[in-house]
Amino acid sequence: MNAFYSALLVLALTAPAVAAAADYTVQPATSTLSFAGTFQGAGFSGTFGKWNASIRYDAAHLNASKFDVTVDLASAKTGDKDRDTALPGADFFNVAKFPQAHFVTTGFRQSGAQVLADGNLTLHGVTKPVTLNVSFKPQGAGAVLDVAGSLKRLDFGVGGGDYADTSVIAADVKITAHLQLVAK
Amino acid sequence: MSLRNDDRRWGTVARFFHWIMALAIIGNGIFGLLMDLAHGPMQKINWLALHKSIGLTVLALFLLRVLWRLIDRRPPDEPGPRWQQIAAHAVHGVLYLLIAAIPLSGWWFNSVAGKPLQWFKLFNLPSLAAKNDHIADTVFAVHEYLFWFLVAVLVVHVGAALKHHVFDKDNVLRRMMPFGRPRP
Repeated sequence: MNAFYSALLVLALTAPAVAAAADYTVQPATSTLSFAGTFQGAGFSGTFGKWNASIRYDAAHLNASKFDVTVDLASAKTGDKDRDTALPGADFFNVAKFPQAHFVTTGFRQSGAQVLADGNLTLHGVTKPVTLNVSFKPQGAGAVLDVAGSLKRLDFGVGGGDYADTSVIAADVKITAHLQLVAK
Repeated sequence: MSLRNDDRRWGTVARFFHWIMALAIIGNGIFGLLMDLAHGPMQKINWLALHKSIGLTVLALFLLRVLWRLIDRRPPDEPGPRWQQIAAHAVHGVLYLLIAAIPLSGWWFNSVAGKPLQWFKLFNLPSLAAKNDHIADTVFAVHEYLFWFLVAVLVVHVGAALKHHVFDKDNVLRRMMPFGRPRP
């Protein structure tokens, strides 16, 4: 094989990798998607067991970055039997009608040292903008991505009716995700 | 009217503790039995929160009452058979134990059930034990049986007081009445 073909081969092998360098696969075993709220003055937290995230990120090219996350709402677990029975029900997530939540970024921006991801969250049939703090740390062949955001549950009609009383179930719900990523 | 006890009657402070706690204990006991009549889970959550708040108030009043009892000399026993005096003191001792044990067992149940404990939506109290679903039913049974034991002891306590008042026409009940006066 002469030098020309060798160079062509190297180019052919590396070119797609360069083009797709910002695409990552989530390692589900070591990644978590969590939420935290307040009930009767005490904090509680839960996790979603089933979700999918498609992550494209490059700190140097924020406008080419994109998060697209789908969450299976029936997989929410908080460690409390009563709460875990209530969450999928009609008063909260209503998974029979709205089985999934969907978050997709609309853009990224830099705010000081902090990267913010603006996006739309569709939850319980309602779509509203949500902004996440992004912390992206390259690690080996992949990266560790931590995001954190906050939403008002009543904006999405989660826990309406009798459950709308924010003196019992607080209005704010924090969302955090810790993702172990491997470059595609 | 004296804040402190004298030889003839209980002082205002002792009578206040007696009657406010009688009202709270009997009221909260009946309220506890009616929990299942709540309309929907949120009303039950709110009723339970109120039941817990009243129970904690009883526990706090109990501590203050014992403190006051240590400071204020109790009036001498009314004249009567020695066995009645001993029986009365035994019943009072058991009542004091139950007044503390019932709220504490409720607090214990609340803890092993992993629920928050909030006093009238104002502040939260810590758990007495780690969450443990396996023993929760047993601890709840303890809470209930202690209450039924209290009911039995109260029948004796109230029955004896009425017997003294109606048949013996003595001072035993009068000296604890909120507005009554001891017989001359």
